[in-house]
Amino acid sequence: MNLNLKAKKNNSYDAIVVGTGISGGWAAKELTENGLNTLVLERGRNVRHIEDYPTMLKKPWELPYNDRVTQEEAQHYQKQMRTGYTIRQSTKHWWIRDTDQPYEEIKRFDWIRGYHVGGRSIMWGRQSYRLAPMDFEANAKEGIAVDWPIRYEDIAPWYSHVEKFAGISGQALGLPQLPDSEFLPPWELNCVEEHLKESLDANFGRVLTIGRTANMTRSHQGRGSCMSRNLCMRGCPYGAYFSSNASTLPAAEATGNMTLRPNSIVDSIIYDEDLGKATGVRVIDAETLETFEFYSNVIFLNASCMNTTLIMLNSISDRFPNGLGNDSGELGHNVMDHHFRVGANGEFDGYEDRYYWGRRPTGFYIPRFRNLDRNDRSYLRGFGYQGGASRQDWRHAVRELAIGEPLKELVQTPGKWTLGMTAFGEMLPDHSNRVYLDHNKKDKWGQPTLVFDVEFKENEFKMREDMKNDAAEMLEAAGFKNITTFDDPGGPGLGIHEMGTARMGRDPRTSVLNKWNQVHACKNVFVTDGAAMTSAACQNPSLTYMAFAARSAHYAAEEMKKGNL
Amino acid sequence: MGGVVFAPTMLGVLKGCSPSTGRWRPELFTASQAALVTALSDTIIPATDTKGAADVGVPGFIESMVKDVYSEEQRTSFLDGLERFDEKCREQTGSAFASLDAGAQTEFANTENRLAIENEAEEGPQFFLVFKELTMVGYFRTEEGATRVLRYEDIPGIYQGCIPFEDVGRTWSHNH
Repeated sequence: MNLNLKAKKNNSYDAIVVGTGISGGWAAKELTENGLNTLVLERGRNVRHIEDYPTMLKKPWELPYNDRVTQEEAQHYQKQMRTGYTIRQSTKHWWIRDTDQPYEEIKRFDWIRGYHVGGRSIMWGRQSYRLAPMDFEANAKEGIAVDWPIRYEDIAPWYSHVEKFAGISGQALGLPQLPDSEFLPPWELNCVEEHLKESLDANFGRVLTIGRTANMTRSHQGRGSCMSRNLCMRGCPYGAYFSSNASTLPAAEATGNMTLRPNSIVDSIIYDEDLGKATGVRVIDAETLETFEFYSNVIFLNASCMNTTLIMLNSISDRFPNGLGNDSGELGHNVMDHHFRVGANGEFDGYEDRYYWGRRPTGFYIPRFRNLDRNDRSYLRGFGYQGGASRQDWRHAVRELAIGEPLKELVQTPGKWTLGMTAFGEMLPDHSNRVYLDHNKKDKWGQPTLVFDVEFKENEFKMREDMKNDAAEMLEAAGFKNITTFDDPGGPGLGIHEMGTARMGRDPRTSVLNKWNQVHACKNVFVTDGAAMTSAACQNPSLTYMAFAARSAHYAAEEMKKGNL
Repeated sequence: MGGVVFAPTMLGVLKGCSPSTGRWRPELFTASQAALVTALSDTIIPATDTKGAADVGVPGFIESMVKDVYSEEQRTSFLDGLERFDEKCREQTGSAFASLDAGAQTEFANTENRLAIENEAEEGPQFFLVFKELTMVGYFRTEEGATRVLRYEDIPGIYQGCIPFEDVGRTWSHNH
């Protein structure tokens, strides 16, 4: 008995954060900076900033197979490779092996994951956009799913809060559908992008702006400015883009209040029927398979959308027979991603005496222009474009009549300017899009596996017509030649923006979380990753997860001080 | 890799030496396939005031890609393409490609290049263009190809979106 009490005392913290990615890092930073003794659990291995980025300085000639993986290696990454860009010699160590981490697909779902300290904050696309007032109002206005329990004004100060620390570069525009962030100076557009921007303004009254990205154009918060190498996904020796490893976790560490425990798979949340709240988590050591219990006053779930959902579904008690906080039956439902890979490419004649210096870590962005003031299309919501222009490299000479010395001369002059853009469209929440547990099929740690039953629906497919045609029309109006369109949605998940499976809402009967991201019926459990999203908007979501995580962690710390948690 | 400027490597191949750098020991290719790959890649990118494909290990790179990265279907098709290329060469010139002199190699390769470009739309993927692109991939990822023929900056430092081409001078080896 005494031993048990001692063990419990040694394993007790003010707060536990599950996950170290974009949102977990923020929860850890805010909780520790508010004086809470915090245990941060990560299911994968430790990754120390700079020290554990093995390929960050590799030159092209130092990577075997031109950075591609062998057939033998590829067998382990069959689903992770569906993106076409994730599994390289220089980056393969950041992604899970599908042979170790199985899941079931009733319909194709591309679940792309990285399990290590920092999670996907190391490999993310860094595009950072605020959601707009209209995004928080759309569900209520249109009678879709449930209303967000907050409005833009509630989250706006927290956007500012995280942006000032993260370092977001961009151009302020004052657009209602894409509120400005606290910006570092923007990256430059190149000549052809500038040309398209002028044409869009003149011909359509539409806006093109430089991508808003968490790549810093000057030193900021003790981290170095970007050197335009564009090798971000390998980890940055300058800390010049936002990641948990470079930014939030060092800040949490510096408080002296963080205990980071890698290789710790959270099996479930411990719910105390008498106290009517959660008291801790059950953990499996990924290396030794030993099991532990850790205890705390509050628990933050930031395991990423699907794994947070898995943990909640796997947390069964008399009070919650269908998963922690699942009174509504909505846990695991309303899966969303963004749908993309639809747009157009074109060639541009001219600017042949112009070129660029450096490798810019972002492209351009065309903010949403459909269904803004009124809904005048055959679908709801809208989309934005991401794209870029560049001059053709040596590959333009493959199909030229040149061999030998003439070929070597020909490649020294770059080819034509080409420009491509893909739209990112909003996916509506739909109850029938869901994940659930398969208790019969366990992974190698004995955990139940997830089953995905998710598909794009009519609204998405109708929207894709505009996404394709608008792109071609804009290129045509700007004088591009040889315009081609493309439309290949792939599976949901390919945007790597999974969200919605533990949505926020006003009513406990129809949602899982309240306006502070607390589980309605278990208030000391917070979910501040993608699972919390009530709708998807069309903007890249990570910045919003940061803002929610910081806001909720601050609230939790305040409530604990008041004795309410 | 290699010395300063290598003479065409054909001689070494004819003597039965391991081609190019002397370190490549073909594992997938037969001796005659290795000789053809060496000769053809070095015809496509010969030594000039910069090194050629064979001098910087492109033949070995090609084999490693075909052996380890290609799917079985791609591999079979590539090896088949090599055989048919040499067969055609023997039919038309009376000699294996690797045994032709440099002028004849360039002439034959130029013809094959032109035919492949002309026929691709109708016939689909052409072996010659697959080989040409793989040679170029292999060459422009080397330090010689990336930094001396093209331009490479390991740490550009800044980004400028619209500058005179002369300020860069040559095509970037890596666009993104």
